[in-house]
Amino acid sequence: MAVLPVYEVFARAKHDEPLRHVGSVNAADDELAKAYAWTLYDEESWIEMCVVRREAIVPITEHGKVPVWGN
Amino acid sequence: MSETGAREFESLDGMPSAAAEGLHCLLWALADTKLLLGFHYGEWTFGTPELEAAVASCSLSQSELGHVRLLHAILKKHWNGDPDAIIESRPAAAFANTAYLDQPVDGWPAFVAMNAVVDLAATRVLASLRGSAFKPLRMSVDKMLDEERHHAHHGRGWFRTLGRRGGADAEQLATATGRALGAVAVWLGPPDDPADRALTEAGIRRESSFAVFTALSEDLRQLAAEAGVAMPTAVPVAFAGWNPRTRRNVGARGPADDILFHLRGEANAMFRLGE
Repeated sequence: MAVLPVYEVFARAKHDEPLRHVGSVNAADDELAKAYAWTLYDEESWIEMCVVRREAIVPITEHGKVPVWGN
Repeated sequence: MSETGAREFESLDGMPSAAAEGLHCLLWALADTKLLLGFHYGEWTFGTPELEAAVASCSLSQSELGHVRLLHAILKKHWNGDPDAIIESRPAAAFANTAYLDQPVDGWPAFVAMNAVVDLAATRVLASLRGSAFKPLRMSVDKMLDEERHHAHHGRGWFRTLGRRGGADAEQLATATGRALGAVAVWLGPPDDPADRALTEAGIRRESSFAVFTALSEDLRQLAAEAGVAMPTAVPVAFAGWNPRTRRNVGARGPADDILFHLRGEANAMFRLGE
């Protein structure tokens, strides 16, 4: 069985707050990811919502590891 | 003046009678189609291929039923249509929904065709009412169209997904799409419908039903080409004794008894408040 891509979902409810990560969805393409994100994470009246394929995210730190120089 | 440049109407006062009758029929048809879409989406909250689609289907159902409420409120205020009676006491043959929704949606390809064709057709009819000279409709239309974006994403996304899979999935989708498009063509009506012409002349619609069907067919042709789905080159459409009130040909039966039974909640009628 094919594994569907994971999309990370970001949203904000007010103009003066930053986009924040609200969850993720599995979807076959961008359009389905948009529909799934909008219908699944509907706990707020978002003024902005977007999705990004997890594989498109460029990591700076290794997963779960704190940089050696702190903070 | 409205966006269409026509005289604005706060109510039916002063509206040409052919346009008022055409608008009544069109809103009724939209409300009935959305009611049946809401029913089928609701039923498909369970049985979808993945959990996200179940949540989406449930959400699509909720928004369709919300749109029914908005349309019934307009029908009640301007035509004195009782929303309860509209659903509860009309015979099946009086329902003006797209005939594709008359029977159970019997599989996921049929569901996707409903979403990508029938729902989109209703949305394109709504879009033809944007900036309408009939003011009470304007705000509601914009709200409904905003929500319909997500319906369109879902329909197109699944259409492409089944098309890319090819084989039986794509074949069943092509068959269901052809059936849905044929039903929608009848629902939209003949190209020379006088009520439709009265609506565009009065600035209540910016596009005729024929223009809506042409645009819808082009949308689907592009989507099918992108998805690799073999669409029928021409959909045979016959108008035999077409009734503008039901948007059906003579002899059509309307939604199946079983669907109306569940839709009306007849089994639980004794629990209604105030009865």
